[in-house]
Amino acid sequence: MKKSSIIIIILIAVAIGAIVSSYGDASTYENFSVAAENPDKEYHIVGTLNRTKEKHYDPKADANYFTFYLIDDKGKESKVIYRAPEPQDFDRSEKIVIIGKMNGEEFEASKILLKCPSKYTENEVKGS
Amino acid sequence: MNEVLFEGERLIYGNLGHLAVVLAFGTSIIATLAYFFAAQKPEEKNWEKIADSAFYVHTFSVLSIVGILFFIIHQHLFEYHYAWQHSSRELPVQYMISCFWEGQEGSFLLWIFWQMVIGNILLRTAGKWKSPVMAVVMLSQIALTSMLIGVKVFGYKVGSSPFELLRVAMGNAPIFKRPDYLSKIADGNGLNPLLQNYWMVIHPPTLFFGFATTIVPFAFAIAGLWKRDFTGWIKQALPWGLVSVMVLGTGIIMGGFWAYESLSFGGYWAWDPVENASLIPWLILIAGVHVVLIFKHTGNSLSVAFILILTTFLLVLYATFLTRSGILGNSSVHSFTDLGMSGQLLVFLFVFVILSVGLMVKRWKELPKSAKDEEIYTREFWMFIGSLVLVISAFQVILTTSIPVFNKVLGTNMAPPADVIQHYNKWQMPMAIIIALLTAVGHILKYKKNSGDAIRKIGIWAAVSLVIAVALMFAFELKNWFYIGLLFASVFAVIGNASLLKPMFSGKVHLVGSSVAHIGFGILLIGVLVSSANKQVLSINQSGMQLNPEFDAKANMEHVYLEKGKALRMGDYEIEYRKDTTEWVNNYYEVHYKKIKPNTNEVEYEFDLYPNAQINPKMGLVANPDTKHYWSHDVFTYVSSVPKEKGESKFVHPQTYEVAVGDTIVTNNGYVLLKRVNSNVKDGKIDLANMQLLIAAELEVHTLDKVYEATPMYGVQNNAVAQFESIVDEAKLRFKFTNVNPANGKITIEVAEKDTSGEFIIMKAIKFPWINLVWGGTIIMVIGFTLAIIKRLRDLTRKNS
Repeated sequence: MKKSSIIIIILIAVAIGAIVSSYGDASTYENFSVAAENPDKEYHIVGTLNRTKEKHYDPKADANYFTFYLIDDKGKESKVIYRAPEPQDFDRSEKIVIIGKMNGEEFEASKILLKCPSKYTENEVKGS
Repeated sequence: MNEVLFEGERLIYGNLGHLAVVLAFGTSIIATLAYFFAAQKPEEKNWEKIADSAFYVHTFSVLSIVGILFFIIHQHLFEYHYAWQHSSRELPVQYMISCFWEGQEGSFLLWIFWQMVIGNILLRTAGKWKSPVMAVVMLSQIALTSMLIGVKVFGYKVGSSPFELLRVAMGNAPIFKRPDYLSKIADGNGLNPLLQNYWMVIHPPTLFFGFATTIVPFAFAIAGLWKRDFTGWIKQALPWGLVSVMVLGTGIIMGGFWAYESLSFGGYWAWDPVENASLIPWLILIAGVHVVLIFKHTGNSLSVAFILILTTFLLVLYATFLTRSGILGNSSVHSFTDLGMSGQLLVFLFVFVILSVGLMVKRWKELPKSAKDEEIYTREFWMFIGSLVLVISAFQVILTTSIPVFNKVLGTNMAPPADVIQHYNKWQMPMAIIIALLTAVGHILKYKKNSGDAIRKIGIWAAVSLVIAVALMFAFELKNWFYIGLLFASVFAVIGNASLLKPMFSGKVHLVGSSVAHIGFGILLIGVLVSSANKQVLSINQSGMQLNPEFDAKANMEHVYLEKGKALRMGDYEIEYRKDTTEWVNNYYEVHYKKIKPNTNEVEYEFDLYPNAQINPKMGLVANPDTKHYWSHDVFTYVSSVPKEKGESKFVHPQTYEVAVGDTIVTNNGYVLLKRVNSNVKDGKIDLANMQLLIAAELEVHTLDKVYEATPMYGVQNNAVAQFESIVDEAKLRFKFTNVNPANGKITIEVAEKDTSGEFIIMKAIKFPWINLVWGGTIIMVIGFTLAIIKRLRDLTRKNS
């Protein structure tokens, strides 16, 4: 066999490996019910902040402990724990993406992405 | 709708701007067609003349667009949407330049500008390749200028004009019903505070210049296929390819440096889709340049060289599509807004894909191919393997970055890996190890044939590198085998390439360009490795106290609560938040660091950091870190949270003193001297009409390093006592003049201290060891590239004459 053929075979094998890996590592956008069924897996959950319930952040007591209630796109609500300071601009978020896993009744978020409609475009002209 | 005559609008500039855009678009079409015919029929000289004239007009119109847009921003013509949205009155001039690339239109304009500049260089240097190459460049220019047109064709908006009027862009707002609306718009929206950084003034132009240069090797490759000169294009395309690798690489790393200096994610690379989008074409281009070199020296692998060079530019277009179409929406922190032009971007991508694939297929059989099998003990063999590894590395990045695209196309519901960094490292680290090893092995070997001597050299240098790597392994305390492997490979890359520096000592500096570039790459890898493997979060809560009932041992408590004036021990450092100052729109928090020797508790050295935060009305808190650079490590600090609002200042511990002129009062941070008592006060703010008496105590307030003045006043108004307090914010003191004792001529002064207990910051601190190797390696790489480019340009001129 020519060396170039061997190289091509190895190349294809590695490429397939990369495809399988990125598929295997990929998380999915799910809701709290799915996350509760698979407490070991990490999920992306898209939802909105429940503004009627109190969010908790007391930096003096613990600067790394922030909790709030999120309603997922199926309408289910869960308490979310985020072990870092409250993200700035949190209240203005329109949509929130949390990444993490379910721990009993609570969702342990390792990352929070905020989607703020006004972040780059302020579509409102204020007269003075 | 009734025509309203609006007052004060300066429409002439927008009209001129629109005209320039249309002219730029029109001339790029004319130039493309004329260069196309000039390439098809070189004997008809008129086509080339038409094309050149169209290109000159094009150059003029692009310069006009840039000039007019800058004028509109600089003069604050807020009737234009772009100026209103991206700038504001108080913006310093250097950041007005950044306004250009905050918006999508402006960044396309930047790209158009660079491509125009490149066109002007090619016009003078491309020789017989001019017409076909310029035809391709101008085709790309049609695509880019159409992004600025902003007209509706059959209900579909083509492009988005930077000269759109505010009242057109936001037609529904009631304010625009008033003819005098413009006088009501006091200020623009302002520049995103994250972009108010000097690196943001130079990083985007560099990156876009890099993007723009990828058109040149692409255009030469297309021209080579088109004119059936399959090998002649290489000589001219090679220096451009090297320029492209150098500039794009510099741009990418500048972006990393900007992120490190001014973003608070704590690092220079986060595998964010936007970063990946610029990395992918760069990797493919590096592979392409190496395969072009293989062909140049051995005559092998021409078709692979074509494929890689063509793919680079297609990937630049794909990257543009990813970042500008809004498709990354949920997966990127800095997702860009969708201006509804993703369709248009896709059309361009397909046009260029079809052009490249079509030509490749059509000419495939004619491409010269080498039939003989490759020798293993040659440079070209290992260079080729290295290039393939780069391709796989890019392929893996592209796959994961494209997950949102797969979701769109396949209707799946995948999300990027939850732990992105770990996912990429798993793949990219082994690739980096292989590539680093190959840079040394491939370079020590010669093209075509090698004696046992070269293989012996590889063995010797590998052994030397192993010894050094083991020593460094202990010095850096590395335990992970992947890290150790990468350390050895990087050291070998540095040592192996350094062994080839001999020509430098005989004055032939231009010959060592590639060795120098690869040494830089090796140093860069060592820097990346050590700074991330030994990165240390200093601000981990080390009090040992269980502060929260729900405390979880595994939780990463990476942020500390720091009360003003209270020192806190954090690892080997003692930190204290001392004060904050406000400059323009930024609050700077002074954090004093003391490095403590672990054993003796002596202070080794101390320094201040000023992480700042801008409380932006539109974006909330925008934090910029501050970093103390030492040659062996950096201490990086940013503020992650501050009290929401500064409440009314409270003053505590009031104390009264009876003093005469010349007396002093000792305070908690200095002393106060009563200079004189003034009974003839003329204070404009106080209505003297009903005052029976008004006297002022003129005080000199001395703190540790500064002197301030305070003048509390005492008055009698309608037979009641009136006091006017005086506050010295900097000294955190409040003074009241409470009584006068005519008997002994003394007065009573009350001093109260400001209550600072509500003032705190929450911050994170990270120590990055040896991060300077990352920047140093980059600089060495750039020097190497510059030498290599000089060498290729010399080759070019020598062979032409």
